[in-house]
Amino acid sequence: MNNPSVVHEDTSARWFIYTAVTFFLVTILIGILMATRFVFPEFLGGIAAISTGRIRPIHTNGVLFGWLLAANMGLAYFVVPRLCGTKLYSEKLGLATLGLWVVIILGAVVTLASGDTQAKEYLELNTTLDILVTIAWVMFAVNMFATIAKRSKEREQMYVSLWYLMGTLVWTAVLWIVGNLPVYSGVNDANVNWWFGHNAVGLIFTPMGLAMAYYYIPKSTGNPLYSHKLSIIGFWTIAFLYIWNGAHHIIFGPIPTWLQTVAILFSISLLIPVWTAVTNFYGTLRGKWTQGNYVVKFLVAGTTFYLLTCFQGPMHSLRTVNQIVSKTDWIIGHAHMAVFGGFSFFAMAGIYYTLPRILKRPMYSDRLGEWHFWLSFVGFLGFAVSLWIGGFLQGLQWMNYTIAFLDTVKSMFPYYVVRLFSAAIMIAAQLLFAFNVYKTARGGAQPTPAIA
Amino acid sequence: MKLEAKAFLLVIVVVAFMFLGTYFTMIVPLMDKSLYTPTKDAKPYTALELKGKRIYEREGCMYCHTQQVRNLLEETQRYGMGEEETFKRFGIRALIQAPPSQPGEYVYDQPHLLGTRRVGPDLARVGGKYDNTWHLNHFRDPRSTSPGSLMPAYTWLYDKAGQPTDEAIALVAYIQKLGTNYKWREEGVEQARALQVKRNPAPPAEQSVPPTTTQGGAQ
Repeated sequence: MNNPSVVHEDTSARWFIYTAVTFFLVTILIGILMATRFVFPEFLGGIAAISTGRIRPIHTNGVLFGWLLAANMGLAYFVVPRLCGTKLYSEKLGLATLGLWVVIILGAVVTLASGDTQAKEYLELNTTLDILVTIAWVMFAVNMFATIAKRSKEREQMYVSLWYLMGTLVWTAVLWIVGNLPVYSGVNDANVNWWFGHNAVGLIFTPMGLAMAYYYIPKSTGNPLYSHKLSIIGFWTIAFLYIWNGAHHIIFGPIPTWLQTVAILFSISLLIPVWTAVTNFYGTLRGKWTQGNYVVKFLVAGTTFYLLTCFQGPMHSLRTVNQIVSKTDWIIGHAHMAVFGGFSFFAMAGIYYTLPRILKRPMYSDRLGEWHFWLSFVGFLGFAVSLWIGGFLQGLQWMNYTIAFLDTVKSMFPYYVVRLFSAAIMIAAQLLFAFNVYKTARGGAQPTPAIA
Repeated sequence: MKLEAKAFLLVIVVVAFMFLGTYFTMIVPLMDKSLYTPTKDAKPYTALELKGKRIYEREGCMYCHTQQVRNLLEETQRYGMGEEETFKRFGIRALIQAPPSQPGEYVYDQPHLLGTRRVGPDLARVGGKYDNTWHLNHFRDPRSTSPGSLMPAYTWLYDKAGQPTDEAIALVAYIQKLGTNYKWREEGVEQARALQVKRNPAPPAEQSVPPTTTQGGAQ
């Protein structure tokens, strides 16, 4: 697919990836600090800046924007020029974007730890940082659109990854700006919050992750894309259906019933884009499940977790299910399956595929890569399954008001212990990942024979 | 020429789709006046309560406490008043359910603090449930009032001698305000009294109605 006459520099791609992996380590350590406190509530207590209420938004924003979005942006700087048969429009602009992104993430850590927050989930960053994010995103979008605009003649017909990327560029900008306007109040503020919050997942991380999966699955397996038609259906149904779903986060809450019902209907319809994309991925992966290395394993597992998390989502919106699982730890397991099991797995596969091609040497260690996959996989399953069981049981207990609330909290203890243990495994896996990336970047002395 | 090959056209259609969903699910509710009509008991926050709300936001209380009694029987029961509480405070034994949260109770909230997760109980109807001292003890040492709680101890809201600072006092004022935009405790007790008078027109002064259950509305 590559045009040999075009020489890619990939400086922006490389440094975005390194930065993303670094932020990932920091934010997951914050995650396990919180998981520890669910078992030992007094752990590292009494310090305002690291109390759970303040570091929780650092964990969520850090994982979403510091790791996942930054990693996907890095991969986009690699993928888009190749799909367009041309060089990136500007590596300098890419590096400037990265510089600004680092300022934003560090600024977010400082402001959130000091309690400077807009207090709405996923919209916590203060106004100054909001504006900086907008500027950084415009810089990224200009670079991407300018590269797409100068694509070579034979790339006139754009590959599906590029549609998803262009969609993400537009969706993110609109969501971010409209979601952050300080003009809403009362229950409408909550409705707009979830218009943003749901679509931050649905129209930023989903299309960005799918763009990467659509590129890396055919590339790493050597199989052609299973179906062009399915990818068209998937894209346009996401574009049409996702935006209607925000209110399913407030089912039974103080918002109009018709709004909840609309959100439920559209939530169920989300099975269409998900199953079309997943059918396409499995179809493309066929025959390679057992032959593949850890890159393919991450893609297979990522596809499967994406399928499962997007089956849970529509089911959660049903009133009978929502009554039980809403507000419980079940949802925490669900969110981690989307962000970690699904889209982070895609991004990790992308990084393992991309780095050796940018640096023109293999990953430092394929064995570490295998370990990274299996520990992430097993650790995540322990994490999510314990929260699903515990959360579901707690939800059932809440349905009987004669069980005191504190007793339902105490009943979660064994599940929180398993969650903490599993989280430790997940983190050990990411340390191997970061070490492998670091050694590869440094040009480690002991290359393994086969390129990923 | 296929649509996907035209970058500009693709962006236009994507934006049009986005606007369609946004119009119906966000802009129509924004124009719905009934969502901005305060309940009859609703009062804006005082300066002290507002200061307390800012501390609630600063410390991220909304990540572990929701502020919405959902329209479900088990929630109106759990977050209502049990017989112990009604007897102690109003001299009547009755189970008084908390009304589900209504849009008109939130009109003065900016930002909203509806929340999504209950590591601790819902707080939409907590105002008036405990006295101020209980809350001050609870923030300083949550497990002294609520054994088994996972809440952090907010020691920085207290001075070295363990006395509450202005911030702790403001926070308590805010917590006591929650749920009072609807005088449901008073109205509920009134209704229960009326019902008992109707059933038993002239009860002897000494006799109290025997409890049917001892647990109820317990958090």
